[in-house]
Amino acid sequence: MENIDAARLQMAFTLIFHIVFACIGMVMPFFMVVSHKKWLNTRNPIYLTLTKSWQKGVAIFFVTGAVSGTALSFELGLLWPEFMKHSGPIIGMPFSLEGAAFFVEAVALGFYLYGWKKIPETFHWFTGIIVGISGVMSGILVVSANGWMNAPSGFDYINGEFLNIDPVKALFNPAWFTQALHMTLAAFTATGFAVAGIHAYQVYKKRNVELHKKAFKIAITFATIAAILQPLSGDLSAKDIAERQPVKLAAMEAHYETKKGAPLYIGGIVDNETQEVKYKLEIPNALSFLAFGDFNAEVKGLNDFPKDEQPNVAMVHYAFQTMVGLGSLLMIAGMLFFVAKYKKKSWFNMPKFWLLFALLAPLGFVALEAGWIVTEVGRQPWIIHNIMKTKDAVTPMPGIVFSLYTYIAVYTILTIAVTWLMARQIKFLNSVKTNEA
Amino acid sequence: MIYVVLAFLAISLLLYVLLAGADFGAGIIELFSSKENQAINKKTVYQVMGPVWEANHIWIIILIVILWIAFPHYYNILVLALHIPLTLVLLGITLRGVAFVFRYYDAYKDSSQILYDWMFKTSSLVTPIFLGLTMGGVVSGDIINPSQMENHSFLEVYVHSWFNVFSILTGFFYAALCAFLASVFLIGEVDDTSKSMYMRKASIATIVVVSLGFITLAYGYLSGIAFVVDFISNIWSISAIVVSGILLFPLWKSIKSGRRIISRALAGIQIFFILFAATITHFPNILFTTTGSISIYEQPVPDSVMNVLGISLLVGGVLIIPGLFHLLKSFKLIKLLER
Repeated sequence: MENIDAARLQMAFTLIFHIVFACIGMVMPFFMVVSHKKWLNTRNPIYLTLTKSWQKGVAIFFVTGAVSGTALSFELGLLWPEFMKHSGPIIGMPFSLEGAAFFVEAVALGFYLYGWKKIPETFHWFTGIIVGISGVMSGILVVSANGWMNAPSGFDYINGEFLNIDPVKALFNPAWFTQALHMTLAAFTATGFAVAGIHAYQVYKKRNVELHKKAFKIAITFATIAAILQPLSGDLSAKDIAERQPVKLAAMEAHYETKKGAPLYIGGIVDNETQEVKYKLEIPNALSFLAFGDFNAEVKGLNDFPKDEQPNVAMVHYAFQTMVGLGSLLMIAGMLFFVAKYKKKSWFNMPKFWLLFALLAPLGFVALEAGWIVTEVGRQPWIIHNIMKTKDAVTPMPGIVFSLYTYIAVYTILTIAVTWLMARQIKFLNSVKTNEA
Repeated sequence: MIYVVLAFLAISLLLYVLLAGADFGAGIIELFSSKENQAINKKTVYQVMGPVWEANHIWIIILIVILWIAFPHYYNILVLALHIPLTLVLLGITLRGVAFVFRYYDAYKDSSQILYDWMFKTSSLVTPIFLGLTMGGVVSGDIINPSQMENHSFLEVYVHSWFNVFSILTGFFYAALCAFLASVFLIGEVDDTSKSMYMRKASIATIVVVSLGFITLAYGYLSGIAFVVDFISNIWSISAIVVSGILLFPLWKSIKSGRRIISRALAGIQIFFILFAATITHFPNILFTTTGSISIYEQPVPDSVMNVLGISLLVGGVLIIPGLFHLLKSFKLIKLLER
């Protein structure tokens, strides 16, 4: 394996894991404080049991997220020294603020986890809110740094040098808002469906039904609201990409020839040699409309760009289709919950209803990872869009493939361990009587 | 503004070495304890370090971020030459963090605890060794300047830079220092029966730290490592080391009379002097390559970057420090008053 491929795979692999841990660690505190608030309001012990078991989940995912994030902060430099040497000073601001937000989160979490019966009740609950808010802030800041790679700004690039650096402008780069909004909503959708799905499965299995139903409702409410807002945010992102990174948009849609009134392809098999997409569903003029709000707008095709400046079209296209498809599916499923809640209460007694949500549990994260593949693979061959190529940023140290294997081994074990741990938490939760907790 | 940034860099380094060091040390002590004492240690670590554990380990992220933003050229040389030990430090931090959480948050306390404990103890020893090795590598003078990398073999560039006697000795020295810190910190947290256990550990650790420190310096001096030779002939650094050594006497006195706040402060001051001694002689040239030392100021970043970073750090500091202080107060000093 080439060094650069090993480095890219290692980066992708660690990011895929970190994203899952970080999203759960960032969103679950919100579920936890809602349940905590319900406990304070109703004094129903079920909510206390639930809050305490979710707080363990938060702690476990916070730490796994923190250590995998620490790993990434090292890896950026270790794998891409040339990139960090030049961009470190420019995109330092989101990272230093992220460090601060993360610190606030750690302090607040210290209070929350160890503060039961030691600090005043309302203040204790409030520290949980701080955990959630600072977690979301961290996420937004890191995504802003990624946005800068897609929309480099805040400097002048003259003769291969980065001059007149303005870190504030780099932080508020043109991509930060659309990306951060899309990612925050995605985190809520994915985590919400995952948590709701796990509790739905417990209801389906008729274990501790009352508690799991309450847990399900909290998680699915967040998830559904986020899933319904997500297409609007996706639309903003698409229009933004059409402006700034037309080649990425073309790859997402496997759109080869520049055309006015371009059609939208749904699904299909991409053949990059013959530049054809087989077995697709075609909606005339829809791509032009989605990208520019005009059915007859001109959409640039891949052939307008040199071959060596195009990403892997098939991979980006499939990932994009996966993200949109699963996102839509989840949105519809979330609406089913609202129908059940307000119109068809009887659905809550149907095992099929719970089985459906149990099956949907992993799909939010699949969509979320697919989305990151779209934005990261879609940016290739650039590490900094139109400025620095990924192959020029990689470490000169040979043998990265061994580092890759080590990471794969460690992270695989970690995943198995965390999954096993979560299963034990749920088993434990089902075995205790509520008022004992 | 560069001085604000340097101050934060120094504070993060000091606090990481101190707090994470005590954290690592707790695991090392457990590794070298009887079964019974292991159980006591496990409980104490949870009570004392649980609430502040996450905060202790964030200092290294602050450290790394400051380095890459404000001193990218310097950072670039580090990540190239010390890629391997830094990766191993990372794996250690990962496994240790995970083991820590697993052993305290697993819903069932059964035989799987044996595995978590083993993971926690081993990574507690291995991580600081590689961390110390990395620090030793920075000053041992075996790093190849990136501009000359092409003329050297893989081993010379990526392995000899840190896999040398001086760096390895530094690694063990730091691990011993961690055990020393942990035992001093934990003495104040336990009842009288366990106290004697930690006193014993503290005295062993003191002996190991002093002898390893001496061996490391002697080896460095005899083999003519520029960093150590200059260090020993510099009046400031040698007096700082001597003061740090002398402080052991009041430290032992205060441990025996049970004044834990003073004991901790003294141990912290000792670490401060050791770091002060290590940096004062050559600052700002604190990276040694085969062809001479490199300044942290080399190829400086523009003022705009330095200013924004300085302001972010100040704002962050204002947000965090009261919270952190309150956290420490809530879980430590309050307990002190209750006694």
